[in-house]
Amino acid sequence: MSSFLDDIETLVPALRRYARALTRNTDQADDLVQDCLERAITKQSLWRPIGPLRPWLFKIMINLYRNDRRRQRNSPEQETLDVLPFEPATPATQGARLALAETAAALQRLPAEQREALLLVALEGMSYAEAASALDIPQGTLMSRIGRAREALRTMVDGTGPRLRSVK
Amino acid sequence: MSDTNMITETDLNAYVDGELDPAKRAAVEAYLADNPAESERVAAWRDQTATLRALYGHVADEAVPSRLSPHRLVIERRHRMMRSVTAIAAALVLVVLGGVSGWVGRGLTTPNLTEATLVSEAEAAHALYAPEVLHPVEVSGQDGAHLTKWLSKRLDRTLAIPDLSSAGFSLVGGRLLPAATSAAALLMYENRDGSRVTLYIVPKAGAETAMRFSSGGGLTAVSWQAETLGCVLVGNLPRETLLGLAKASYGSLDSASAI
Repeated sequence: MSSFLDDIETLVPALRRYARALTRNTDQADDLVQDCLERAITKQSLWRPIGPLRPWLFKIMINLYRNDRRRQRNSPEQETLDVLPFEPATPATQGARLALAETAAALQRLPAEQREALLLVALEGMSYAEAASALDIPQGTLMSRIGRAREALRTMVDGTGPRLRSVK
Repeated sequence: MSDTNMITETDLNAYVDGELDPAKRAAVEAYLADNPAESERVAAWRDQTATLRALYGHVADEAVPSRLSPHRLVIERRHRMMRSVTAIAAALVLVVLGGVSGWVGRGLTTPNLTEATLVSEAEAAHALYAPEVLHPVEVSGQDGAHLTKWLSKRLDRTLAIPDLSSAGFSLVGGRLLPAATSAAALLMYENRDGSRVTLYIVPKAGAETAMRFSSGGGLTAVSWQAETLGCVLVGNLPRETLLGLAKASYGSLDSASAI
C-alpha cells in the first residue's frame, strides 16, 4: 500500500498541471486532484491497477471532470476563470502576453474531447498509447482528435495573427 | 520518393509528437523540405505545444498543497471511518428506539408496504450512497463471507450475494438500512467506469411477480418480488443493462432461497 501511495505521490504534480489546464481555476483544479486521489485510494482496494499507473489515474480524473461539467451545466452558477494562469516570471512583451492569453482562450473554445486529448499529448508528453488508454478510446480516434484540435487552435489564433504581426 | 507522396496529416501530427520510426521520420522531413506551406503548419503546431507548456508547465514545479498528499488522505480516511462507526452505533440506537415505539404503537396504523414504497426507498438509498466516494458501504465486498452472514442474519433470510462480475460489475460492498417494516440490505456494485448500481433487498413474503420498470430523477429501477424477498435494482444505466443485471441477481438470490 505504501509503495502504491509513493507512486501516486510522484504523479500529483502532473495531475495538478493537467487539472489546471482543464479548469483554468486553481482551487477547482486542486479539488479535482483531491477527488481523483481519494477515488484511486478507495478503488485500489477493489482493483489493483493492472496496467501502468499514470493513464489509470488520469482516466479517473478525466471521468470526475466530465461528471463535474455535467453537473455545472445544470446549475447556472459560473466559476470564475483565471484570465492568465500566472504572471509570467520574465516580463514578457505585450505581444507575447497576448499570444499566451489568446491560446489559453482558444483552448477553452475547443470541444472538451479535443482539449482533453491535446493536453495529454502536448502538455503531459504522453505517448499516443498512454493517452488513448487514459481516454479509453482507440488510438486512431485519439490521433484524429489531436489533429482537429491543432488545426482549430491554429485557425483561432491565426485569425487575429496578422493584426498582431502588424503591431510588431 | 514514393513515400513522400503518401504523407498524411496524421503522419505530420505523429511527427510532431515523436511517434514515427526513423524511416518514416526521414520521409516526413523530406516532404516538409519540399512543401514550405506544410512546414509552416508543422512549425505552428510546435509553437502551440511550446505555448501550452509556457502557460501551464510551471504548475508541476509548484509546491504541492498538503491536502493532496496521498499518505495524508489515507490517514484522514481512516479517521472518518472511525467516526462513521460511532455514527452507525448511534443510528442503531435510534433503530431500536424506533422499533420499540413501533411495537408500542402497533394497531394504530396498518403498515401497507406497497411496491411503490419499496421502490422509493430503494431510490432514496441509491441517491444517498451511490455518489459516496469515501464510505459508500459499511462492509467491503472483499469481506464477502462476513457480509453474507451478517446481512442474512439481520434480514432473517439466507442471502447469496449475487456475483455480477460477468456483466462487468464488481461488488463494492453492502450496508444495512432501516426500511418501512423491517431492515433492508443495500448491496452496491461498480463497473470499471465507476458507474454504480445498488440492489435493495427487504424480507417480504408474497407471490412472485414479473420485473417492473420505473424511472424518475435520472434513475431507473427494476423491481420484483421473489419468494421471500422484495428486490429493487437501481442505477443510472440503460434499461437493457439493468434488466440483464436484475435477471442475474434474481437467478442467484432465488437459488439461495431454494437451499
